[in-house]
Amino acid sequence: MPMALEATDTKQQGNGSPALDIYLPPERKKITGGGTPHVVAKNFSIYYGEFEAVKKVNADILSKYVTAIIGPSGCGKSTFLRAINRMNDLIPNCHTTGALMFDGEDVYGKFTDEVLLRKKIGMVFQKPNPFPKSIFDNIAYGPRLHGVKDKKTLEGLVEKSLRKAALWDEVNDRLDKNALGLSGGQQQRLCVARTLAVEPEILLLDEPTSALDPKATAKIEDLIQELRGSYTIMIVTHNMQQASRVSDYTMFFYEGVLVEHAPTTRLFTKPKDQMTEDYITGRFS
Amino acid sequence: MNLGTRKLLDRSFTALGFGSIVIMGLALLVVLTPIVTKGVGAFVFQGTIEHRKLLLNEFHRGDAREIEKEAAETNRSRQKVFDMLATFDQELDKMDYEQQSKYRDSYGQVKTALRALFGPLPGDSEPALTRFQYGQTRWNKAEEKLHDLLYEQKWDYSNPDVIAKPYDVSRAGAFTGTSLAGLFPYVEENLDKMMMPEWTFYWGFFTEKSLDAHFFGGIWPEIQGTIFLAVGAMVFAFPLGVIAAIYFTEYARDGFLTSMLRSANSTLAGVPSIVFGLFGLAFFINTIHVSHSKSVLAGSLTLAIMILPTIIRAAEEAILSVPKTYKEASLSLGSTKWNTIMTVILPAALPGILTGGVISLGRAAGETAPIIFTAAVSVGAAIGLGDVLGSPTPALSWNIYNLASEHEAAAEIRHVQYGMVLSLVMIVLLLNLSAIILRARISKKLKG
Amino acid sequence: MSDEVASSQGRSSEFIVSAQKHKIQKIKQKTGEATLLLIASFVAIVVLFIFYFVARDAIPFFRLRGFAEFFTSPEWYPADDPPHFGALAIIYGSLMVTLGSALIAVPMGVIASICLSDILPFSVRQLVKPVIEMLAAIPSVAFGFFALVVFAPLLQNQGGPILMWTWWVIAAPFLLLFVIVVSELLTSSITKESMKKPVKMALSTVFGLLAILLLYVVGQHLQGLVIMSGTNALNVSIILSFMALPTIVSVSEDALQAVGRELREGSYALGATRAETIIKTILPAASSGILAAVILGIMRALGETMVVWMASGNSSAVPDPFYNYLDSVRTLTATIAGDMGEADQVTGSARFHVLFAMGLLLLIVSFVSNLVSERIVVRQRKILSGQ
Repeated sequence: MPMALEATDTKQQGNGSPALDIYLPPERKKITGGGTPHVVAKNFSIYYGEFEAVKKVNADILSKYVTAIIGPSGCGKSTFLRAINRMNDLIPNCHTTGALMFDGEDVYGKFTDEVLLRKKIGMVFQKPNPFPKSIFDNIAYGPRLHGVKDKKTLEGLVEKSLRKAALWDEVNDRLDKNALGLSGGQQQRLCVARTLAVEPEILLLDEPTSALDPKATAKIEDLIQELRGSYTIMIVTHNMQQASRVSDYTMFFYEGVLVEHAPTTRLFTKPKDQMTEDYITGRFS
Repeated sequence: MNLGTRKLLDRSFTALGFGSIVIMGLALLVVLTPIVTKGVGAFVFQGTIEHRKLLLNEFHRGDAREIEKEAAETNRSRQKVFDMLATFDQELDKMDYEQQSKYRDSYGQVKTALRALFGPLPGDSEPALTRFQYGQTRWNKAEEKLHDLLYEQKWDYSNPDVIAKPYDVSRAGAFTGTSLAGLFPYVEENLDKMMMPEWTFYWGFFTEKSLDAHFFGGIWPEIQGTIFLAVGAMVFAFPLGVIAAIYFTEYARDGFLTSMLRSANSTLAGVPSIVFGLFGLAFFINTIHVSHSKSVLAGSLTLAIMILPTIIRAAEEAILSVPKTYKEASLSLGSTKWNTIMTVILPAALPGILTGGVISLGRAAGETAPIIFTAAVSVGAAIGLGDVLGSPTPALSWNIYNLASEHEAAAEIRHVQYGMVLSLVMIVLLLNLSAIILRARISKKLKG
Repeated sequence: MSDEVASSQGRSSEFIVSAQKHKIQKIKQKTGEATLLLIASFVAIVVLFIFYFVARDAIPFFRLRGFAEFFTSPEWYPADDPPHFGALAIIYGSLMVTLGSALIAVPMGVIASICLSDILPFSVRQLVKPVIEMLAAIPSVAFGFFALVVFAPLLQNQGGPILMWTWWVIAAPFLLLFVIVVSELLTSSITKESMKKPVKMALSTVFGLLAILLLYVVGQHLQGLVIMSGTNALNVSIILSFMALPTIVSVSEDALQAVGRELREGSYALGATRAETIIKTILPAASSGILAAVILGIMRALGETMVVWMASGNSSAVPDPFYNYLDSVRTLTATIAGDMGEADQVTGSARFHVLFAMGLLLLIVSFVSNLVSERIVVRQRKILSGQ
C-alpha cells in the first residue's frame, strides 16, 4: 500500500490527523487495489443553522477498507456520514463549509448532481426501511430508476444482490411477497441488497444493527466482512465491540471534532488521545 | 430516460405542486375579493339627501334643521324638473290623440325613472311601501337610475343566430321639439345638486332593523339571530363534547364498544348538513315538540348535534397533547384520577379545547341547511332573549340565500346582500383567525 | 379519618382502606365512569335517532309509491295531479356535480397535499395552512352567493373565452412536457449518438406542431360555446371543488406525513429524484389514506346544499346530451331544501315523505362511504406498521 502511506503518513493536519499506517492484525488480510483515499475531508464543517455540528474535519477514508465511526451520541458521527451522500440536503437549514472530495471531485461542488452521487454512494439506515412492496420490487427499485427495464437483467441483478447480501437462500421462494413480512434482520439485509443493486462504490451504514437482536446483528457483521474488499464501507456504530470486530480503521468523534482516526487495532490498544482512551475504556459515554 | 429528462420531470412535478397551491390561494382571493370590496359598500358609500331624510324620519337620527336646509336646497333644484313636467303636461293636453299616444309610453317611463330618483313626484299620492316614499339613497344607484332616465334599452334581434344583445337609445331624441327635451341635459348636469351626495359611514347597517324587506335599514335582526343560534348550539354541544372527549381519552378501553362509539362519531361528522335539518324537523319539532314550529331552540339543538363531532375531536386532540409527565406528576402526588383530570389535564388542554370550540362556533354560525326547516324565517324583527324558546329568527346565512334568490327585487338590494355576506364571512373568519392565533400561542408555550 | 378506620380494622399501613370503604370507592368510581360513558354514547344514540327518524318519515313514501318510480323515472312533477315522483334526474344531477367537482378537486388536492408535505419548506407551509383553513371555514352560503351573483353572470357573458384561456393555461405546459418526454423515450433505443439528435429534433417538431394544433382547435371550439345560463353544472362543480379541496388536502397530507422519513431516505439514497421518490414510493404507501381523503372530499361535495340550491339552475331534467355540464341540473340536497317549503303544510303526503326518502338515500351513502374510508385508514396504518 505505498499510495496510502504516501498520502496519509504526514501529521501536519491538527486534530484527528489521518496518519494512517497499515497496521492490520494477522487475521485481517490486506486488500490489493485498495487503500487509496476514496473520500477526503478538508476542513469540513457541517452546520444546522448557526450550530456547528461537525467541526473542521480532516480525514482520508481509504478505499475498499471498512472504516468505523464511533463516539458518544450527539457527537456528529451520523451527521458526518449522512453528509457524504448528501442526505443532509433533506434537512432544512443544513449547510457545509470546507471541502469533501469523493474520487477527487467536490461532493458539494456547484455542478455535483446529488442524484448521481447517491447512486455511487449507497446508504443503509438505522431502522430497516423496506418499501411496502414485494421483495423483488424493493431490490429492483434502484435499477429501474436508473433505466434497467429488461426483465432478465433485473432478475439477474436481484439474485446477485440478494446473494451478496446473504439473503438469497432465505427468500428466493417468496420474491413476490411483501418485504414487510420479513424479520427485522432480514429486512436490514434486504436494505443492504437494495443498495448493492444500484452497484455503488461506497456503502454507508448508519448504525445498521441498533434495531436488531444479537443473532441478526451477527449476520449483518458477517455480511460486512463478506463485502469488505469489494466496497469502501463506512459504518457508524455506538457499539465499540462491533467497531473493533468489523473495521480496519476507526474514527472517534467527540462533540463534532474528529479526535482520532487510526487503524482499529491501534486505536483500541494504544490510543494517542486521552479522550479516546477515556471513551473506549468506558469512563464516559 | 436520461438524467436530464428525469430532472425536467422532477422540476415540472414541483411546478405542478406550486401551481396547485397557488390556484388554491387564488380561489380564496377570487371569492373573497368581491365579497370584501362590495360588502364594504353596504356601509361606506356616498349617501344622498334621500338617505339622510330616511334616517331622520325612520330612525330619528341626524341634525333635523341641517337636513331640512339641505332638502330645501335640493328641492329648489328639483323644482325646475317638476316645472318642466308640468309644462309638458299642459303641452300634452293641447295635442290631439295621435300625437299624445306617440309620447305616452316614453313619458310614462320618464316619470317612473324620475320617481325612482327623487321619490314621489308632486301630485302623486303617498305610496304605501317605504321603498317608494324615498328617492335613491345611494349615489351610485342614483347614477344608474339617471342612465335609465337618459337612455332606453332596446334589444337587437337582427341576427337570429346569436342571442339578442341590448343597446341604448337616447330618450332625449324622442322628445325633440317639446318642452321636455331640456329635462334630460338638465338632470344629467345637476344631479349632484339635486341629490347632494356625501361620503357616509353608515354604522347603523350593523345595529338597526331593516325597513321594507331590506330596502333600507340594517341587518341587526340577522346578526342577532346568528349569534343566538351559534351560541345556543355551543351551550349544548360544548360541555357534552368535552366530557365525551375526556371519556375517550382517559377512560375508554380498547374494545368493541369504544370502536363503535368512535365510528358513530365519524359517521355523525359525515352526515350531510341538510339531513340534520330533516332530522331536526322530524325529531325536535314534529316528535318531541320542543316548540310549536320553527324556533331558535330547535335550530340550536340541530346545530349542536352537527358540531358535536368536531368539538369531541378537537378536545380529544388537545387532551392527548398534554404531556404525560403532568398527569404522572399529579398522580404521584396522591391525586385521584378525576381530580387530576379536572385540575391538571383540563387546564393544560383548555386553550386547545377552546380553539376547537371557537372553530365550531364559526361553523354553527355559517351553516344554513340545518336551520332552514328548524329556525330561520325570511323577514322579522330581532327577537328578545326571552323568545328563543318558541320563536324563529332571521339569520345571516338563511337571509343571504333568501335575499339573493327569493327576494322580489333581488337585483335592487345587492349591496345589502354583499353586506350580509361580508358580515357572515367576517364573523366566521375572525373566529377562525382567533383560533389560529390561539393555537400558535399554545405551540409556542409548549416549545417553551 | 382514614386513620381511624384503618386502625379500627387493626391495620397499621395508612394506605390500606377498609373493605367497606373500598367498596364505596369502587361504586363511586364505577358510577362516575358509567355516567361518562353515557354521555360519550350520546353521539351513538344521536346517530341511531337520525337513522330512525329520517327512515320513519321516508318509509311512508315507499309504502305509498313503491321503489321503482323513485329510482328509475326521470319525471319529477310532485305538484301535478296525479303527481310524479321520479328522482332519477335529480340523483343524476347530484352525481354529475359531484363527479365534476371531484375531477377538479381530486388531482389538485392530492398534488397540493404532496406539495405541502414534501416540497414546500416549513416556513411557507405555515403560511399555506391558514389559507386552507380559511377556505374550509367560509360558509357554504357565501360560496353559493359568489356562484350566483358573481360567477354565473361572468360564465354566461364571458364563458367561451374563459374556458378557452383555462384550457390553454392548463394544457399548454402539459403538452410541452409530453412532447419532450415522448420524443426522448422514442429515441432512447437509438444507440448511435450522431443519429440521436436529429431524429429527436424531428420528432419534437412533429409532436410540437400536433400539440399546437390540438391547443388551437379545442380552444376555438371552447370559445365558440354558447352558454345559455350561468347557473349550471359547470359553475356548481367548480365552486364545490373549492369546498372539497380543504378536506382532501388536509386528510391526504396526514396520510403522506404518516409515511415515515425512513422510506423517503431509502429512496433518495438509491439515487431517486424527488418526483420519483414521491410517485414510486410515498404515493403507493399512502394510497389508501389518500383514497379515504378523496372519499371524504367527494362526500362533502355530494352533501352540500346551499351552493347547488343557489347556482345549479334547479332544472329537474337530465342534461342533453347527458354529459353537458353547461346545462342546468338539480340535486337531491337542493330538492330537499327547496321543496320542503311547499310540502310541509301538507304533512303526511307523499310530497313530504319523498324528501325524507331523498334524505335517507344521502344518509345511507354518507354512512357507507364513512365506514369504507375508516376501514381504509385502519388498513393503511396496519400495512405501514408492518402487520
